[in-house]
Amino acid sequence: MRGRSRYKKQSLTIMPSPEKYSILLAEPDPAVAALWLKMIKRPSVSQLSVKHTAKTLDESLKILEGGAIDLLLLDPDLSDSKGGDALKRIRELFPDLPIVVLSGIDDDAAVSKILEGGAQDCLIKGRFDARTLIHSILSSIRLARAESSMARERDMFQMLLDNIPERIYFKDRQSRFVRVSKSLAWLFKQDDPQELVGKTDFNFFTLEHAQPAFHDEQEILTTGEAIVGKTEKETLADGSVEWSLTTKMPWVDQQGKIIGTFGISRDVTEIKTMDAALSAERHLIRSVIDNVPDRILLKDVKGRYMLVNSAHAKLLGLDDPSQALGKKLGDFLPATVVEQHTAEDEEILRSGMPMISHEELMENALGEKMWLSTTKVPLRDQEGKIVGIVVISRDISEQKKAREEVIEANRSLTEAVARLKKAHEEMHAIQLQLIEAEKMKSIGRLAAGVAHEVKNPLAIIDMGVTYLLQKPSSQDDETPQVLKEMGEAVKRADIVIKGLLDFSTPKKLDVQEEDLNTIIEQSLLLVRGEMKGSSYRVVKELHTDLPRLKVDRLKIGQVFVNLLTNAIHAMPEGGTLTVRTSTRQHAGVGENIGDSRTESFRIGRTLVVAEVEDEGTGIPSDKLSKLFDPFFTTKTTGQGTGLGLSVSKSIIDLHGGTIEIKNRPEGGAKATITLEV
Amino acid sequence: MNPKRILIVDDESGFTQLVKLNLEQTGRFIVKEENDGEKAHATAREFRPDLILLDIVMPKIDGGDVAALIREDFELKKTPIVFLTALVTNKEASSNGLMGGFPFLAKPISLEKLIECIDKFC
Repeated sequence: MRGRSRYKKQSLTIMPSPEKYSILLAEPDPAVAALWLKMIKRPSVSQLSVKHTAKTLDESLKILEGGAIDLLLLDPDLSDSKGGDALKRIRELFPDLPIVVLSGIDDDAAVSKILEGGAQDCLIKGRFDARTLIHSILSSIRLARAESSMARERDMFQMLLDNIPERIYFKDRQSRFVRVSKSLAWLFKQDDPQELVGKTDFNFFTLEHAQPAFHDEQEILTTGEAIVGKTEKETLADGSVEWSLTTKMPWVDQQGKIIGTFGISRDVTEIKTMDAALSAERHLIRSVIDNVPDRILLKDVKGRYMLVNSAHAKLLGLDDPSQALGKKLGDFLPATVVEQHTAEDEEILRSGMPMISHEELMENALGEKMWLSTTKVPLRDQEGKIVGIVVISRDISEQKKAREEVIEANRSLTEAVARLKKAHEEMHAIQLQLIEAEKMKSIGRLAAGVAHEVKNPLAIIDMGVTYLLQKPSSQDDETPQVLKEMGEAVKRADIVIKGLLDFSTPKKLDVQEEDLNTIIEQSLLLVRGEMKGSSYRVVKELHTDLPRLKVDRLKIGQVFVNLLTNAIHAMPEGGTLTVRTSTRQHAGVGENIGDSRTESFRIGRTLVVAEVEDEGTGIPSDKLSKLFDPFFTTKTTGQGTGLGLSVSKSIIDLHGGTIEIKNRPEGGAKATITLEV
Repeated sequence: MNPKRILIVDDESGFTQLVKLNLEQTGRFIVKEENDGEKAHATAREFRPDLILLDIVMPKIDGGDVAALIREDFELKKTPIVFLTALVTNKEASSNGLMGGFPFLAKPISLEKLIECIDKFC
């Protein structure tokens, strides 16, 4: 701090008092006293009046102690006191009393001694007239009063210099100390301020302070301008540092001439230290909030920034956080980004409830998107009134990305697992098919061998029967009938062998997109012949919007012919034959939970279901598990080969479907075929 | 009308004998039996059949090889060959297809169907 003001010269004037003066006359000789009284009592001099006369010192002292005496006219040779004793005594007791001595000794040395003893004037008896006496009296009063006043001033000034902690000095034009306060002497480790007289700052301070101080003083001498309230760092010769608040002024004499400088300075080291500590603390806090990567900001209730740290300034596109102060988010970012924040702020200001770790997508001044985790709390003053909002937000884009990557990885993994599971299931199905195929190959080889070895004898028997039937020698009653039955037996055996070959021949599917309803209709036509002789009713509940299936038309047709034939054979006396198709979504494991085929259907895939129902006697429960075994049949000999359902099952297996046969609760049996679309 | 000359090659002599009896009984065929596949070609050259009924599965040589030999023979290559075999499934039997380029019949075969087939090819 440094200021200058024009120095104004103060003048000091002693005004003459208009009052009257009371005089004590101390004179042992009454005649002499009377003479002097006569001299003083002049009509032209009304100011003076001799109130008391005394002959002895004691008497004089008593009167003086009574007060109200302005001047003492003293003959030093009083009856109880000789020589200079009276003057000495009185001066000791009444230092400010104006005293005019009327001496009988006409000697310069004596006069000098009297004046040194404290008298304001000394007149020699017989050598002065009335005018001289009166003049001496008045002059002495004035002189004494001036001396007293000066002494008070001096005392006050000295008191100031000796006691006030502020350092006061007067310097000459060469910046040498002329007068200093005790406090300044103490600063320089001196008890007596006189020790400093004639010395300069250079004797006590390092150049760092002494030089600029000297420069300042020289400038004051030149310009006459004061330096007011300047804070100075003072490094003493011993290295200790003090801070002072200094005012320096030009020292002007009566003629207005600048003869030096004077000044006063106060030790503000403590304030300065506190200030520095505060400043350091402020800097530390600022440094902390500027160096954390999180965004920290304070807004007032109108959304104007009161504090913004570097991280948030960067988001706003600013290099210097202070550029944001007093401005709003909307001054830096587009309205679309601002709206959401304004709404949040308003809600917090309204409710006083904080918003903790809210994740939000934010856009910075460059339009780059980032995920922030933001906490907003209301800022309250000492009375608890909400005066703004404190916001701390953290960039969590990386964590968010990592989290999404984990989710993505997890999803890929789940997908991979699902694919693996599917592949495993497919492999399992293929394995089953391979085992099945291998089994069938063995059976095929066996069947081929059996067929060959059986068919040749059958052919011979057949030819033999044919021959014998034509022989006239065999034309008795029974022989042709026997031969015919033999022929029938050969045919039946042939059918069995052919069926065995069908069953065991490795199959290949000729797959096309087909309509299952059409296949079922064609199969129904093929079994019409089986329904002759009894009354059958055919109920068709075919789904009108069935999805097309990839199947081998002939093979699936063969399956339905088998199932329909079985159903008809189960009702030799006639009845209702129901054929039904439908679709459903595969919802997971169903009633066939143990069946590996069912498990191979994909959840959510569309399944087509075909059912064939009869009203027959059903299947004995102990036979249900053997239905699909080759050569197993419930039909009477000659009616079935026992291969129909085995062949049907192998066909459905090849299509990746399921077939099951159950007894219906209301009687009869139901065959169900399920195929995946 | 001269009777048709039929050569039947099959290792089952019982079968060839009954086919011969049945066919010749009609008076329309002269049948020569050959139960040894390896001699089939020579027998055919000697017998000069109008049609050969040829078994497939035989010891020493199978019907396919016999058919190939006969087809390579300049003098016999136009003689119709019909395979007569036990190794036929229902489907194959009802397909009227060919087996190795030759028509075939499945054993057991009725006399009626056998004659129908012979008449078709010669």
